[in-house]
Amino acid sequence: MAIAPTTTPPGAAAVSPRGAARPRSRRARVNRHLLRLPFYLLSLTMIVPFYWLLITVFKRPAELAKLPPSFVPEQPVLDNFYDPLWSPSGVNPGHLQGIFQRFQVDFGFWRFMFNSIVITTAITVGSLLICSLAAYVIAKHDVKGRKVVFVMIIASMMVPWQTTLIPNYVIMRNLGWLDSYAGYIVPALAKAFVLFFLVQYLQSIPDELIQAARVDGAGEWRIWWRIVLPLLRPALAAMSIFIVLAEWNNFLWPLIIVQSDEMANLPVALARLNSYFAGPDHQGAIMAGGLLASLPTIAFFLVFQKYFTRGIALSGLRG
Amino acid sequence: MANHAVSLRRSRLRRYGTSYLMLVPFLGLFAGFLIWPLLNSLYLSFTSFDGIKPPTFTGLENFRRLLVEDERFRHALGNTSVYVAASVTLGTLLSLGLALAFNGSSWPHRVMRTIFFLPSVTSSIALMLMWKWIFFPSDVGLANTVLDWFGQKAVAWLATPGLTVPILVLMSVWGGMGYGMVLYVAGLGAIPEEYYEAARIDGASTWQQFRRITLPLLRPVTTYVVVTGLIGAFQVFEAVYIVFRGTNQIGGVLDSGLMIVPYLYDQGFTHFKLGYASAVAWVLFLIIFVISLVNLRLGRATKEL
Repeated sequence: MAIAPTTTPPGAAAVSPRGAARPRSRRARVNRHLLRLPFYLLSLTMIVPFYWLLITVFKRPAELAKLPPSFVPEQPVLDNFYDPLWSPSGVNPGHLQGIFQRFQVDFGFWRFMFNSIVITTAITVGSLLICSLAAYVIAKHDVKGRKVVFVMIIASMMVPWQTTLIPNYVIMRNLGWLDSYAGYIVPALAKAFVLFFLVQYLQSIPDELIQAARVDGAGEWRIWWRIVLPLLRPALAAMSIFIVLAEWNNFLWPLIIVQSDEMANLPVALARLNSYFAGPDHQGAIMAGGLLASLPTIAFFLVFQKYFTRGIALSGLRG
Repeated sequence: MANHAVSLRRSRLRRYGTSYLMLVPFLGLFAGFLIWPLLNSLYLSFTSFDGIKPPTFTGLENFRRLLVEDERFRHALGNTSVYVAASVTLGTLLSLGLALAFNGSSWPHRVMRTIFFLPSVTSSIALMLMWKWIFFPSDVGLANTVLDWFGQKAVAWLATPGLTVPILVLMSVWGGMGYGMVLYVAGLGAIPEEYYEAARIDGASTWQQFRRITLPLLRPVTTYVVVTGLIGAFQVFEAVYIVFRGTNQIGGVLDSGLMIVPYLYDQGFTHFKLGYASAVAWVLFLIIFVISLVNLRLGRATKEL
């Protein structure tokens, strides 16, 4: 459950982190702990909102409307996910729809989970393939125009993507891609930042391996697939973290291109829920939806923890 | 000899051909969904366009209205500036503080780092909905419950214009400081311990070590945290949309939370003034372009090629 300490970058000797540097006197050590105290207190402001979210999920709707609010659910229930006693005719007052009963689409809430997973996976895999291909050419092929192309791509990193929002919306409409997976995925594939990062990473890798493969008669596609991609693995891991988090949370673009209930991703589905229901008794189901939407990325983080901090550090120290 | 030259040229062509072919997917998508839309949005910003009838050219009219007449836009710029300044300053300072406090490898430090990093891996919409629930106007909300403990009356947090930007700053700093902390921890790890040893031998105090070694060596990290923070903060949208949007005003009560991107959305996709919204988009572009230029990333990156 803890973030692993970031590894020291190559070049720096294996050093103990600065906080572990032993101050000489006892007084200095006490001072150091005193200086940390506000930050320990600050961590309470992190935990309490999360705790509030969690207990809301497990309270009955009636309990959510009660004053003063309880800090431990009187009787933890799963009603906010699925309430078997709820009926559309309202014969059981006090029972509201759980999150899985709230959407009038096939498979209900699962549909949005599915959409988000499909879209995020497709964009991550697709953009890493496309960007690594281009990065290989720019970093390792001596072709005319590569410098111009690279400068242009770097310059484009200064463009906030919202500037292209309106023309891209018009393009999607003309292509008939509004409300489709293509509309989510295709415009998101060419990522300048990913290309930039991969080019930088490739430049730090010596050419010998690639040259040797060429001498052996391997084609460029084969070299890319069999040699470049494996060499890029740490960089691809770092980038996939950024892409997954960004696409999982992507909101403004889906908000614009999604029209039907079926094609919403999780953020858009939750935002719609939020605008239809407002009372305290609905908060349980809304928070349950938020919790479900967060579980995949939290799980992803717990599994790939090491890569997270390393990837973030890599992007920060290099970029 | 001549034959050799021809075959050499042909083989180079073949290799070049493959190279260009490998660039095609990226460059095609890049041109189609970034370069062309960018130029197109510049053109649209000089037109009146409702998305149905073809755009009509109106020259600088959009920009004149935007910068001279439009009080809502001025309001949005003002709100955004305050929000950006406050959230980036606070966020950066707290990130640095957290990194200095918890950069060890002992378990309490690792647990602390995980706690502060948690918002970065939680669904951002879930966090917005959580805040909206915390700041619920009646006493069932957490914020008002805490006020109640101190004998204070309930506050309509989200309906009090003076509280809108502070709440947005709070959400941004709360959610972002763990990410900056991770960057700073990495930066601290890259500072050789020998520097501190040498400084201690020379009798430098902890504060002097911090001022003369830690801060200067962390400058690249600080630049990165501040620049990416500025760029991200100028693009704030969903916090405003989810937490503050009212039935007919996107920017909350009296537009107190109106920012640049929400205004772009409002003009473009609520009022369908796509030309006018493109002008807003280009103002945003210019702001971020200037920040990036100051960062001079361009110069540094091209030098390496």
